[in-house]
Amino acid sequence: MPLGKLTPAGRGRPSAAVSLALFILLVGLMAYLRLHLYADRTVTLTYGLPLLVCFFHRDRRLLWAMAAAFVAMAFYKSFYLLARTGSGTGFSPEAAWLMQVTNIAAIAVAVHLALGLTDRLRAQNTEIERVNRELRQREEEISLQNEELAQQNEEVQQQSEELQAQSEEMSAANAELAKREKMQAILLGSLRSLDNDTKLLGDVCRSVLDLLDGEADAAAVLEKRGDDLEVVAHVGVGQPIGSRSPFPNSFTSIVLQQNSTAYLEDIRLRPDLRQPPLTGADFRSVLAAPLRLNGHPAGAVKVYSLQPRRWTREQFQLVEWVSAQCSLILETRRLQKELVAANENLTRTVEQRTAQLQELVNELEHFSYTITHDLRAPLRAMNGYARLLSEEAGHQLPSDGRDYLQRIATAAARMDRLIMDALSYSKAVRQELSLTPVDAEKLIVGMIDSYPVFQPPYARVEIESPLPPLLANEAALTQCFSNLLGNAVKFVEKGRQPHVRIRAERRDGLVRLWFEDNGIGIPTEMQNRVFVMFQRLSKDYEGTGIGLALVRKVTERMGGKVGVESEPGRGSRFWVELKAAATEGEA
Amino acid sequence: MSAGAVLYVEDEADDVFFMRKAFRAAGVAVPLQTAEDGQKAIAYLDGKPPYHDRSLHPRPSLIILDLNLPVLSGFEVLEWLRRRPEYAGVQVVVFSSSGRPEDREKATALGATDYLMKPASGFDFVDVVRQLQARWLLNGRGDHDGTRPPGAENS
Repeated sequence: MPLGKLTPAGRGRPSAAVSLALFILLVGLMAYLRLHLYADRTVTLTYGLPLLVCFFHRDRRLLWAMAAAFVAMAFYKSFYLLARTGSGTGFSPEAAWLMQVTNIAAIAVAVHLALGLTDRLRAQNTEIERVNRELRQREEEISLQNEELAQQNEEVQQQSEELQAQSEEMSAANAELAKREKMQAILLGSLRSLDNDTKLLGDVCRSVLDLLDGEADAAAVLEKRGDDLEVVAHVGVGQPIGSRSPFPNSFTSIVLQQNSTAYLEDIRLRPDLRQPPLTGADFRSVLAAPLRLNGHPAGAVKVYSLQPRRWTREQFQLVEWVSAQCSLILETRRLQKELVAANENLTRTVEQRTAQLQELVNELEHFSYTITHDLRAPLRAMNGYARLLSEEAGHQLPSDGRDYLQRIATAAARMDRLIMDALSYSKAVRQELSLTPVDAEKLIVGMIDSYPVFQPPYARVEIESPLPPLLANEAALTQCFSNLLGNAVKFVEKGRQPHVRIRAERRDGLVRLWFEDNGIGIPTEMQNRVFVMFQRLSKDYEGTGIGLALVRKVTERMGGKVGVESEPGRGSRFWVELKAAATEGEA
Repeated sequence: MSAGAVLYVEDEADDVFFMRKAFRAAGVAVPLQTAEDGQKAIAYLDGKPPYHDRSLHPRPSLIILDLNLPVLSGFEVLEWLRRRPEYAGVQVVVFSSSGRPEDREKATALGATDYLMKPASGFDFVDVVRQLQARWLLNGRGDHDGTRPPGAENS
């Protein structure tokens, strides 16, 4: 900042009242001394002296007002007072006055300049002070910031240390996890292989030693067998003592009894317990966790150390974990083996049963045909002889006798039908039915054409063309339709012409064929029973009671359904529902 | 081929009775020879005792063969016949109570010319004989040459 522009800081303008008072006092004093008291003499007391007051009261107006007043006083004294008295200095009044004016002006200018100079100095000082103050303030701020920074730095340092520690912990945990993972992989791998448990347990021991990172010198899995303890697996120093060692008083017995993980800090402090079943090494400390075998605690996972030691909480947990994993795996393997065995057993049983069944089926089939052949032959003879007798000697018999012969023939014929129907039924139950598209309409038309009983004047069978092709077994479907049609024309009141209407109803991928007759109908309570074997509705009509059971059986074997709607006296509407053949018009 | 005869291989005496009756009823004059099991049928065809007298037991031009037979079954007789070229022209009609498709197929495969199911009544054998008459021209004069007549077909 340029010094010229500086104003005296902290001080206001000099008081005008003080200036006025000083002016009156000093000018009055000078006027009294010079113009009144020593009016006739030249006084050495210079006019410049009062001007110097302005160094203390720094009012330039006072300075110049006094200078003007003194110039005027000098003028008055030089030209009037001294000139009138005639006393003088030897100088002319003009010269005396000029000298005094010069004197006054010089002092006034000097005071003025000095005032200006001190003003500037003061302003400079003030500025310097201000700057100094600011600087101090900044300094304080900076030091404050420095402190904060130092604090932050410390915090960062601390965090960094924490992070470092965490990172180390993490990597340690990671390494541990990797080891556990490896162990689990070994354990899980054993589930796939069918190796014996001994190999698995050996791997487990190796893993435990690995996990303990050199803190243990040997690991072993022991199993209680009866009253003995057997080393099932062992890795590390020492050798398992060849045969079994007694179980009672062993450390394992304590672990198993309490069913919890435990350790002996120094084996020598427990002389009452048996030595570890390992020779060739002087073990001093042991840590053991119970192992579940065959579903109950029956063994232990053990780690040994050659030094007496307190095992850490982590090591404790580790062995416990290993034992738990091991138990799980062994249990799983045991169940797996049991399952495999059970499965094999089952398969064997199923095979045996299947073979037995097949044998039975074969026998049954053979039996069926024996029946066909051997039972039908006498019936054929009975019927034949009865009719022969009736024809050749019927006229010699009374009407009763002829009737009896007729009855014998009818009974034999019915027996024959019964045998044939039963045979068809048993065949329908057993036979494999392959399904192909079948032209139902062609099938029914062919049936009507080949049996006069379906043709006028015996009956009237109408087909509501076209009937869609069905996915069925042609032979089975023929059997099914011939039974339904046969029933439809059979169960009709005497003297009435049977009238059958066949129509189709499509319902999403299925076809329902209806066989509607004008027969005697079926009472509601009987409708469920007509499809049951040997259920006959009426003794007035010929029948074996197998036909509809056969219809239902073959339809079901073809993946279809059958049903009936009927009212007595108003005919029956039988239906067969089967899958529609995919391509239409193909038989 | 010599004067025809019909050989009926059947173990059921009643069926033989009804067949004879049916032959008479249908007016078939061709002599009906019988054998009651497969082995005897083969002996008959071979002309071995007691069938060595061809005047009493003439060589058949038609064999009616039951399948379920003692000693040797109908199928075995068919197999035997197939190995004998001299019987290549002889017609064999299987006459069985079995309706099993596999029996029918096996018989056809073994060279049977026809397969008829036995009716439920011996009295109805006459229908069978009439069918045979129509197909194989069993006209009673014995001049049947054994070849398959036109219009003959399997049932």
